[in-house]
Amino acid sequence: MKLRILLADDHEIVRRGLCALLQKHEGWEVCGEAADGREALEMAKQLAPDVIILDIGMPNLNGLATTRQMLQQDPNAKIIVLTITDSDQVIREALNAGARGFVLKSDAARDLVSAVEALQDKRMFFTPRVNDLMLTGFLEKGRAISTREPPSLPTLTAREREITQLLAEGKSSKEAAALLNLSTKTVETHRSNIMRKLSLHSIRDLVVYAIKNHIIQIDRPLEVKDTPESPVA
Amino acid sequence: MKRVMAIRILLVDDHPVVRQGLKTLLEGQFGWEVVGEASDGVEALDMASSLHPDVMVLDVTMPKMNGLETCRLLRRSTPGLEILFVTQHDSPQMMREALDAGARGYVVKSNAARDLLEAVKAVSQHRAFTALTRRDTLESS
Repeated sequence: MKLRILLADDHEIVRRGLCALLQKHEGWEVCGEAADGREALEMAKQLAPDVIILDIGMPNLNGLATTRQMLQQDPNAKIIVLTITDSDQVIREALNAGARGFVLKSDAARDLVSAVEALQDKRMFFTPRVNDLMLTGFLEKGRAISTREPPSLPTLTAREREITQLLAEGKSSKEAAALLNLSTKTVETHRSNIMRKLSLHSIRDLVVYAIKNHIIQIDRPLEVKDTPESPVA
Repeated sequence: MKRVMAIRILLVDDHPVVRQGLKTLLEGQFGWEVVGEASDGVEALDMASSLHPDVMVLDVTMPKMNGLETCRLLRRSTPGLEILFVTQHDSPQMMREALDAGARGYVVKSNAARDLLEAVKAVSQHRAFTALTRRDTLESS
């Protein structure tokens, strides 16, 4: 029987590349492709895949929130998160969300097949950096640090985090309400609570908060040098 | 008889998975061939001079030498080569910089599956192709 994989990334070109990579492996098939976290949740429910690969930086519902909700839906779901950064905070959040694999997008061509193989064998797969951090007691240290940090992400409920992401992506309360099957009034109440809890005063503040806390992702900073005639070699 | 348009393409992006996705899409077109793949600007310059592609599909943000610098250098060294940027920078400012650097086309990565084939066809015929999708969340709030 084939191993069935669900793939979620908002960039179709990346999904094509990942599909090509995974389907070279005998006995594996990509049973579904989703362009955001909400679509992935629905497809996971319908298709019951063996392994789920989620990009962290997806619109509407990011990969971390999707991981949490998928595991509520099915505690045995085997999830690999794909990310463009392996910062301490992202690693900690991915592990806390319950991901069993963590692969950097830039290394996906090298690591993704190994990660799926590991999950297939009921093992976990992390990049060497994650393993190093875990070995040095990273998680314990992280928990200790988080108790001293000012309240941030954990003070929001799952629903508030979803709404924070949608508002930070530029959606209106009405648009967010339609996506979440809520009334506009309910979203506006959540919005007020979010702003109060986080001591934010404008949507601009909310966007900054969402970026800092990896609720939404922005493009990598461009490393443009001033001189066009920089040496070639 | 319909004439087949052969196009030789050099792909330049630091993410192998993105290159693979672009390649799958491009090679689905009869007569189009990905003649080489480079993962940074320095490699792209070398491969452009040895492989003589018709079109270079070029990322902006890359290690060693970014796409804008690469494009400026190629304009001098290989004037016949048409350059199409495929980037995640969905901004008019970046598009302007890319065109000023000498590119013929600009496509946003999130829309590459939709726009890439048309863009490659256009630039291979020395026509411009630009497409953005950006919605500026900060300004609209």
